[in-house]
Amino acid sequence: MSRIIKNLGSLRLGRSALENHVIDELLAGRLDRRAFLRHGSRVGMSMAAMAVALKTVGFDPIGEAKAQTGKPGGTIRIALTAPAGKIDPVTVSDQYGLLVLQQVGDFLVLDGPDLTLKPMLATEWKPNDDGSVWTFKLRKGVKFHNGKTMTADDVVASIERLADPANGSNALSAFKGILSKGGTKKVDDETVAFHLDAPNGNFPYYLSSDNYNAIILPADYSGDFEAHMVGTGPFKLEKYTPKVGATFVKNEDYWGGPPLLDKVELSFYDAQQPQVLALLGGQVDVIQQVSVQGSQSLFNNPAVNIIRLPSDAHRQIHMKCQKGPFADKRVRQAMALTFDREKLIQGLFRGWAALGNDSPFAPIFPSTDKSVPQRRQDIAKAKQLMADAGTSGFDVTFTTMSIQELPALASIIKNFGAEIGININLKIEDSGAYYGSAVPGKSDWLDSEFGMTDYGHRGIPNVFLTAPLKSDGTWNAANFQNKEYDKLVTDYVAALDLQSQQEVAGKIQRLLLDETPIIFPFFYDYLTAASPKVKNMQPTAMGQIFLQHATVG
Amino acid sequence: MGSAFGRFLLRRLGLSLFTLWLVSVVVFLGAQVLPGNPGRAVLGPLADARAVAALNKELGADRPPVQIYLSWVGGMLQGDMGESYSYRAPVAPFIGAALVHSLKLVGMIFLIVVPLGVGGGVIAALNAGKPIDRIISVASLSLTVIPEFVSAIALILIFAVILRWLPLSATWPDGAGPLTQIRYLILPALPLVIVLFGYIARMARAGTVEALSSDYTRTAILKGLPWRTVLTRHVLRNALVPTITVIAAQTGYALGGLVVVETLFRYQGIGNLVLTAAKAKDFAMLQAGILTIGAFFIVATLIADCITVLLNPRLRAEMGG
Repeated sequence: MSRIIKNLGSLRLGRSALENHVIDELLAGRLDRRAFLRHGSRVGMSMAAMAVALKTVGFDPIGEAKAQTGKPGGTIRIALTAPAGKIDPVTVSDQYGLLVLQQVGDFLVLDGPDLTLKPMLATEWKPNDDGSVWTFKLRKGVKFHNGKTMTADDVVASIERLADPANGSNALSAFKGILSKGGTKKVDDETVAFHLDAPNGNFPYYLSSDNYNAIILPADYSGDFEAHMVGTGPFKLEKYTPKVGATFVKNEDYWGGPPLLDKVELSFYDAQQPQVLALLGGQVDVIQQVSVQGSQSLFNNPAVNIIRLPSDAHRQIHMKCQKGPFADKRVRQAMALTFDREKLIQGLFRGWAALGNDSPFAPIFPSTDKSVPQRRQDIAKAKQLMADAGTSGFDVTFTTMSIQELPALASIIKNFGAEIGININLKIEDSGAYYGSAVPGKSDWLDSEFGMTDYGHRGIPNVFLTAPLKSDGTWNAANFQNKEYDKLVTDYVAALDLQSQQEVAGKIQRLLLDETPIIFPFFYDYLTAASPKVKNMQPTAMGQIFLQHATVG
Repeated sequence: MGSAFGRFLLRRLGLSLFTLWLVSVVVFLGAQVLPGNPGRAVLGPLADARAVAALNKELGADRPPVQIYLSWVGGMLQGDMGESYSYRAPVAPFIGAALVHSLKLVGMIFLIVVPLGVGGGVIAALNAGKPIDRIISVASLSLTVIPEFVSAIALILIFAVILRWLPLSATWPDGAGPLTQIRYLILPALPLVIVLFGYIARMARAGTVEALSSDYTRTAILKGLPWRTVLTRHVLRNALVPTITVIAAQTGYALGGLVVVETLFRYQGIGNLVLTAAKAKDFAMLQAGILTIGAFFIVATLIADCITVLLNPRLRAEMGG
């Protein structure tokens, strides 16, 4: 023990209070290896320092880079759905556009598949004492594809461009209340400081690969990205054809070392089925994402590897809390109690999903309080709650979109409702019609009293906690208004260390379980399909595919 | 005859332009009913309202709909198809590329199906009641009811996945020569060949049977003309008039209605372009795409009508010829 204290004593020297707190948590046994890495990386501890700390308490140090198994050279062919519209880092809004951006561009911070932050264009980052100012040190000697060296000016311009409401920036909703225009300041050529709107313990995630739009561009970027796609990334644009695809060649000058592949070929498709057929027919090597419904022929096929990544992607089933049949929370609880979640996961996802407990805190988030009891199907209790609320049943319309398993899930929910006398009429429409103009009064999504919406994976639960659930949230389809909840979320967002995050998370989880404005039945895995000859490819649940170390054949 | 035919053509052309204008009005009105707005379609449902407003302003999509329509009409009159909201680039190159693609596919389809369908129908008619007639009639009827998406997947599985004889994607590599392009187009053409074969074969058979039993054929035979001459000059010439009308009508459909085939074979035709544009409320792209399909439909029908007039002595006579 004394040796441990001594080792850690030297490690602690010169570390911030926050970093020392993470080390304390590790020592006290409150953090396992993964959680320690995740939280150490968030407050800006270096990998080397974390490796020392882990060794001290008996964990394996951080693994070395994967051994190279495949043959270098060659072209990897990836199938993906066509991105919606122009490829412009400022406006890209889907994971397909993201996959294009990510080949040619880098983020300040990398949020890997294990939700641990790793240095990318920033080598270190540190908060001030209350987490309201974060300072990032930039990597030296990084070159853009046009030969210019990246400096703090490029970083400031890239992030300011996203924070400016005049730019049609898709990062604006993520930055809302966090980082405003003018908040990003150059300290020196290799240092940038972010002055936040409010303290935020998870800010590095907002500048990480979690934020589709946050690739670093040259300061003088003028909106013509498709022509050259100048970034700092591992691959350089060879040819881009809208609606058809793109090819990239390796960047010999990449700061992380040149990739092993010679070329990357992205082919755009308009549906999933042809992608599946193309993989079976050997015309592509990888499908960015497959859904369980559309890809049955790939499962149990020895010629196809399915890469499963746990994620927090989910469906939210909202019930209007202010008026209508669900205004009484006992009715909302009753509806949630009719869900047989295990069966849904088995039936719709082959078991490749995690149970949801009617809050955004998915099992993969380290801050999730696992001691909150799991809600399970209980029809008797649901009937009792209906009786207590003074209703024997009612008619209601359930509105959702005709994508993936949503129509199937909607029919199952109709059956669940029938068990307790809730007669559900289904209204299943095109996603364009469902979202409408995405503002109250002009959107079936926000106006329906009972409906289901799809939400993609994110590295931290913050957006899920605020936009769909806070009283002033812009995606608050449930019209959930709860002052206590709002306060708890503000506390959660500001919390800098994991223990306080977990404490607040537990309170939020219990409050949402009681109020049940939204049913979160499951969090489904992100599935990427690949030919077995593809090696060392690293997809993430965000939709990125990191190919620096990948090989084919 | 010349001036009468000329007047007929002129009248039809004028009518066509009026039809196209009407189509543009319908598309304009239809686009107003589509939910959402272009900025929202680009940025997604979760984007900040300020960003959507900024993008709509940049695109000019925040102007009153009538103004958008009028400025689009003004552009069209000067030969400018406008700019795509989604791709923030001129519409014309997109339409041009997609049209060339669609025309190549349509050409491939008719290159295969017209000889097959007409030949099959005529052979069936000449052998009416015999086993060969029954085989062709049953085959054509049962093939017609197979939807494209079913036959397309079956064809892909057999020829591209299992046998790997033909490429699965119809998008050929850059710089491919005509022969390579044809190889890439065979598989995508087949689903529609299957559907249209029955259609054309039955029309051709019915027309031929009718012509065979007509007075003029009997007269021609009794006149002692050789059978070959009777067949080509009297029977087929009359028998194929309705078939040509059917083929022309199918051209428009094959040009714009092959969304399923285009999607399954990853082929950037005009059908998909229009569908994507409608989903994204991409006004100029939607207008240009639908008008292009409409124009081709009108031209195809016009050509069919001209051929009918020229082939049919009775109609020719009515026009003063």
